[in-house]
Amino acid sequence: MTSSTTDNVGAIERLRSSVPGLDQILGGGLFRTGVYIIQGLPGCGKTILANQICYGHVAEGGAAVYVTLLAESHSRMIQHLSTLSFFDVKAFPDKLAYISAFHDLESAGLKGLMGVLRREMRTRKVGVLVLDGLVAASEGASDLDLKKFVHELQSIAVLQDCTVLLLTSGNIHRMAAEHTMVDGLIELEDKLFDARSERSIQVRKFRGAGPLRGKHSLRIDNDGITVFPRIESLYRSASTETMRDEVTTSGIASLDAQLAIKGLPMASSSVVIGSTGTGKTTMGVHFLHASTPDEPGLHLSFFEGPDRIRAKARSLGLGLEALEASGAVELMWQSPGEALLDEIAERLLSAIARRNVRRLVIDGLSGFLDSAVYQERINRFFSCLVNELRSRRVTVLMTLETRDVVSSVISMPWGVSGLVDNLFFLRFVHDEGHVERLMTIIKMHDTDYQAGLRRIRIDSQGMYIAGTYRADGDVIPSAQPVAGPEGSVPSPSK
Amino acid sequence: MKTILVVDDELGSAEVLSLILEEEGYRAFCAVNGQLALIQARDVVPDLVIVDYMMPLMNGAEFARALRADPQFANTKIVLNSGLPEVAIRDQFDGYDAFLRKPFKVETLLDLVQQFIGR
Repeated sequence: MTSSTTDNVGAIERLRSSVPGLDQILGGGLFRTGVYIIQGLPGCGKTILANQICYGHVAEGGAAVYVTLLAESHSRMIQHLSTLSFFDVKAFPDKLAYISAFHDLESAGLKGLMGVLRREMRTRKVGVLVLDGLVAASEGASDLDLKKFVHELQSIAVLQDCTVLLLTSGNIHRMAAEHTMVDGLIELEDKLFDARSERSIQVRKFRGAGPLRGKHSLRIDNDGITVFPRIESLYRSASTETMRDEVTTSGIASLDAQLAIKGLPMASSSVVIGSTGTGKTTMGVHFLHASTPDEPGLHLSFFEGPDRIRAKARSLGLGLEALEASGAVELMWQSPGEALLDEIAERLLSAIARRNVRRLVIDGLSGFLDSAVYQERINRFFSCLVNELRSRRVTVLMTLETRDVVSSVISMPWGVSGLVDNLFFLRFVHDEGHVERLMTIIKMHDTDYQAGLRRIRIDSQGMYIAGTYRADGDVIPSAQPVAGPEGSVPSPSK
Repeated sequence: MKTILVVDDELGSAEVLSLILEEEGYRAFCAVNGQLALIQARDVVPDLVIVDYMMPLMNGAEFARALRADPQFANTKIVLNSGLPEVAIRDQFDGYDAFLRKPFKVETLLDLVQQFIGR
């Protein structure tokens, strides 16, 4: 049934923000005609965020006005903004203007200020109005005055179809009065973790919809602000997809032969643990090399760049170039240093979606660990990532380096074993003057496997299992991985 | 004594400029938007106006057009200034005597003022 009347009350429209990730954490975007506070200490990105929303609105054909009280001067702000990619000088003067209302505030108080805002909304027909410097406005005003101010602003915003952003550096306790009134409260933060700092954004209040709760990472670069929603909040529901009986190859025929189902369960996750040089990356390259255009593969490495991965593959007789050319394989490199955990996850998941990836190698899991500023988050992060990969039917093989070169004890960070389906352990043993590589299958999801120690060979034919290793008791590893104490997360070596 | 009217919605910067101009021996006045500036201009008939472009109520271009349309300001010099580049503004008004891109150095402004109206 349709109605031609204009008084039907539907869902309030959203304002598309052009800030990547922001609308996602707001559950669709700011509501049009809403009044929102954006709060944070100086330098945390309020001005950039508000400007980016203005310029984005202008780019969509709307108009915006940026009203300052005691903020940085307009010319200085324009100088700073002109270095950012979204800055568009053509927006002036019809679509965007910076004006100061301090004189009106000083001479006529909140009433005077309200007069300016009302007039600007009406005459410029703006869809977005920013008021920068709410602290100055609230100076000397009573709580009741402020509440009335916000209330009036809300009424005008609805009448003029304008979304209002109030910027303030004030702290949350001091500013309680208007917080109770506004439609939403967004807080920006720039916090130091040892030597590195991480910016975050948190939606503390949002009327009318459920935002993604908690703090999300935020990056400011030449394109302005990008928000990276925490993947735990993005993919909250546990994967409903149950593993079916499909099987995919590990990429190593002699390993497949050891497994009852002759391969790895489709959409399962495997971790290969071992010290440096034991063959973890090699195993990953084998797994990757089994990719086809129908089952595309992706290789994400944190330490070795694509050229070194290609060279390694060549030395194993597993050229990747043809697979790359056919689109069956993509190599991706990520610097482990400054990237944000959720930024990497976002990059990874969008690369998977782009090519419908079915086989994934993450070489150097600790690259992820190094990117986490809260180590206690790692467990939740990975269980969520693994779940999401499973629901996308991606079979993943990850490598993780242990500290000790020769050891019979596996020390494993953050209870990896609980998070993944299959676990392989690679290591060196001394055997009467020889050094041997051994593989142990520690865990396989829902499938039988031949336990015991396998001798591994790596040569120009690649990696393969070369029989069973019979050894003295002292090199047999403990069958159970050694997890860290409850609640603590030992930091692994690279 | 020559009279200068400084028009800028960022009142702080208008006030600083007018103080400097007074120290340089000019009579200086301030206004925070084009509308108020027009009223004041009729009162003091300035020899020169230093006017910001982006302002509430009446912007610098509108103010300057109104000034140009009024014969009593036939000899008034107009120095338009803005944080925006000149090309973004010229469409709106190009009858100014000089354009200054903000932020500018005070010497640049004082040189211009002296060139236009002397001391």
